[in-house]
Amino acid sequence: MSRVTSGKVTHARHRKVVKAAKGYYGARSRNFRTATQAVDKANQYATRDRKVRKRNFRALWIQRINAAVREIDPGLTYSRFIHGLALAGIEVDRKVLADLAVHEPAAFGQIVSQARAAMPA
Amino acid sequence: MKTFSATPADIHKSWILIDAEGVVLGRLASIVALRLRGKHKASFTPHMDMGDNVIIINADKVQLTGRKRAQKTYYWHTGHPGGIKSRTARQILEGAHPERVVVKAIQRMLPGGKLSRQQMTNLRVYAGAEHPHEAQQPEVLDVRALNPKNTRSAQGGA
Repeated sequence: MSRVTSGKVTHARHRKVVKAAKGYYGARSRNFRTATQAVDKANQYATRDRKVRKRNFRALWIQRINAAVREIDPGLTYSRFIHGLALAGIEVDRKVLADLAVHEPAAFGQIVSQARAAMPA
Repeated sequence: MKTFSATPADIHKSWILIDAEGVVLGRLASIVALRLRGKHKASFTPHMDMGDNVIIINADKVQLTGRKRAQKTYYWHTGHPGGIKSRTARQILEGAHPERVVVKAIQRMLPGGKLSRQQMTNLRVYAGAEHPHEAQQPEVLDVRALNPKNTRSAQGGA
């Protein structure tokens, strides 16, 4: 039998950590010392990944815009399309462009043709 | 505004038919890998199997540039000591399963996780000009016409 200690504050602190480790594998969700390490690491990942998430989404929007642009105009790529947008003075961001490409293909096609028109042939 | 994420209800998988005769192997594989993953669609969602079903015919007549037909080597290990084995592309193309050259090239262009293995099942490669998927009414994708380099013949090699 393990020895039961009775510090109220200590117990509350331990319970807080073990609760945060709910669902972890094996001792990582039950044992205070292992759970502390697991929760600390999880918080590090969470902090990092809130920043990584922004990059991941931007990358996904670019992949979608690229696919949509190539479908409309086989000679156009993402890179050249963005260049054309700059020349045309269109300041719609990638998030909105990707959303238009999925939900409003007609509007997206208009933007593509405007970008295309702004580029020197 | 929430970024769109495709659900099974949003996914429409079409069928495409590609004639591999005279098409350069890597260029073909790159186009097919793109289609299998669904990266040609504006609704591309990385964790969903949303690519097309691809049928390739005449896979045995694929083009290898340079001296790759003789020199490109496929290795595998049997697990036994000294069990490394190899075949050249020519041996496989002239063997019992010539379509494996194309299958391998495409497989190696996919990211290689569980989803990729699922997507590989959407690929059907046949050595001859016949395929049993007429009922799916595949749409023909003419890879030769996409780019003149897609049919570049052997050069610089003997």
